Amino acid sequence: MSQTNQAVQVPVLPDKQKRAVSTVPPGERRTWLHLPALVYMIVLTQIPFLLAVWFSLHAWNLLVPSEGFPFVGLTNYVTEFVRDVNFWPIMGHTLELVAGAMILALVAGTILALLLNRPMWGRSVLRGIATVPFLVTPSVMALIWKNLFLSPSSGMINWLLHFIGIPAVPWFSAFPLQSIIFIVAWEWTPFVMLVILAGLQSVPGEVLEAAKVDGANAITTFWRVVFPLLRKPYQIAILFGTIFIFQTFGEIYVTTSGGPGVTTNTLPYYTYRAALSSFQIGQAATLGVIGVVVAILAARGMLRLMTERTASERG
Amino acid sequence: MTTEARRKWSTFAWTALTYILVFLLVFPVLWMALTGFKTEIAAISVPPILFFQPRLDQFLLAIQGGFGAYLFNSVAAALVSTAIALVLGIPAAYAMVFHMSTKSSNDMLFFVLSTRFMPFAAILVPLYVIVTRLNLLDNLFVLIVIYTAMNLPLIIWMARSYFLELPKEVLEGAWLDGCTTFQTIVRIVVPMAAPGLTAAALLAIIFAWNDFFFAVTLTYTNSPTLPIMVAAFTSNEGLFLARVSALATLIILVPVAIGIYAQRYLVQGLTGGALK
Repeated sequence: MSQTNQAVQVPVLPDKQKRAVSTVPPGERRTWLHLPALVYMIVLTQIPFLLAVWFSLHAWNLLVPSEGFPFVGLTNYVTEFVRDVNFWPIMGHTLELVAGAMILALVAGTILALLLNRPMWGRSVLRGIATVPFLVTPSVMALIWKNLFLSPSSGMINWLLHFIGIPAVPWFSAFPLQSIIFIVAWEWTPFVMLVILAGLQSVPGEVLEAAKVDGANAITTFWRVVFPLLRKPYQIAILFGTIFIFQTFGEIYVTTSGGPGVTTNTLPYYTYRAALSSFQIGQAATLGVIGVVVAILAARGMLRLMTERTASERG
Repeated sequence: MTTEARRKWSTFAWTALTYILVFLLVFPVLWMALTGFKTEIAAISVPPILFFQPRLDQFLLAIQGGFGAYLFNSVAAALVSTAIALVLGIPAAYAMVFHMSTKSSNDMLFFVLSTRFMPFAAILVPLYVIVTRLNLLDNLFVLIVIYTAMNLPLIIWMARSYFLELPKEVLEGAWLDGCTTFQTIVRIVVPMAAPGLTAAALLAIIFAWNDFFFAVTLTYTNSPTLPIMVAAFTSNEGLFLARVSALATLIILVPVAIGIYAQRYLVQGLTGGALK
C-alpha cells in the first residue's frame, strides 16, 4: 500500500496542462479496450445461459444415456409449474428466506447504523468490528452457528434459554428454515448497516440529533424525518440484499442439505440438486432459467435506478 | 436531576448500548476463536467454559490433514483470478470513462451489472456440462476462470467510479504529450487511482476466498479450497468442535483482515458505486 501511495505523485505534466484546456475533449473515440472484458463476460455468462435455455427445451438425464437428448419443447416448464409437487413449496421457501432474512437484517442494520452514527469514543473501530459477520466465509460460519450455538445438546442458545425455563430446542429439526434465515440475517445485518450509515452522512446533523437524543420521540422522529431522507439507501440495500440473499447456498448445504424433506430447499439449491444429485440436466436447466427470470424481475428496478445516475456524473 | 446531568446520562446509556449490541453481533466469531483454544471436552461443556488454560493443539491439528494443499488452492484461485480481472477490467473501465459515448458507456455498465446479478445456479448446469466435456472437472483452472468472471463486474464498476473522479487536465496533458493509450493507463491512470483499485482487488479476493458454490460443485475432489475442507471435515470425522473452530478461525482471518482494512470501500464495491 505504501508503494502505491507514493506512485500517486507520479503524474507531473505541468506545461501541457495549460494547453490542454483549449483542446477538444478526447472522449468518444473508437476503442476496443472494453472488448476483452466484454467477450470474457459474454462467454462465461451469456453463452452458458443460452445453453441453459437450450437444455431446458430437452429431456436429458445423464444417468440414462440411452434416452438421448430429445427435444421436448416447453414440457420441462409445464412439468415444473404443474406436476412437480416440490416446485411451489420451494418457491415459497425461497420467498420466505429472502423476505425473512432481508427484513431482519434491515431492522437490525438500521438500529446499528443509527447507534453507530452518534459521535462516541472508538466509533470507527466499532464500525469495523461490526462488519465482521459480513466478511466471514458464509459456509464456514453457518457450520459454526449450527454446532456451537444452535446444537440441541451443547449449543449456547439453548443453554441461555434454560435460564428462562425454555427446554432444549432442536433448532435445525424443529425450525430448519427459520434457523437458516436467522444465520443469513446475521450475515447481512452489517451490509444494511454500512449502506444506511453511508446514507446518514447526507442527512443534516441537527435532524439526527433531534431524531435520536430523546428516548420516546426518537422513533416518531425517525419515521417522520430521517426515514424519508434515506429512501435511496434503503432501495439500494433492499435490491442488492435481495439479489445476493437469493443466492444463499453454502449455509443450506452445510447445515441441513436442504432437508428435512425439501423444507430448506430454495430455488438455487433445488437447481443444484437436480443437476448434481439426480443429474436431470433438462430439469435443472429449466429451474436455472426460471431463477434468472425471477432475478431479472427483481433487478430491473435497481439497474434503472443506478444507470440513471451516470448521466449526471459524467456531465 | 438537572437537564445537563440527564443528557450526560442519556449519552452514556446510548453509547453503552452500542457497545453491547456490537459485542453481541460479533460474539459468535469471538466465541468460535476462543473455542479453538480449548480441548474437545471443554468445547462441548455445558455450561460453557469461559476461563481455561488455552492450548494450541487444535490449531496444530487443524493445519494437518492436507491444510497446505487447500490453502494453496484458495490462495491461487483468489490471487490469479483477481489479477486477470484487473488486467481485463481496468482497460474496460478506462474505455467506458474516457473513450465511449455516454450512451454506450451506460449500456456497457448495465450489461456489466446484469452479469453480476445472474444467479450462479442458472449457469451451473451448462458450466458443469462444458467442464465435464473438456475433462476439466476438479481442475483449479476452472475455479480461476469462473472467479475471474465473478469479479470482473466488481473491478469494472469500482475502477470506473474512480476514473470518473480523475482530473481531466492531467489526462489531456498525457494525450497531448503523445502518450499511447497503454502508457496513459499504466503510467498515469493506474497510479492515480491506485488506492481505489487496491480496494477493488482486495474485495475481489474476499469474494473468491469465500466462495463455496463453485468450489463444491466443480472442484470438490481434487482441487478443493479451504471452505470445502471445513465442510468435508465435519462430515468425515464427526464433530470435533474445538478443531473445527480452530480451522474456521484460521480461514476467516484473511477476509476479516482485508475487509476491515478496506472497510471504506465495502459499500461501494458491493453496490456498484450507487452509494459512496
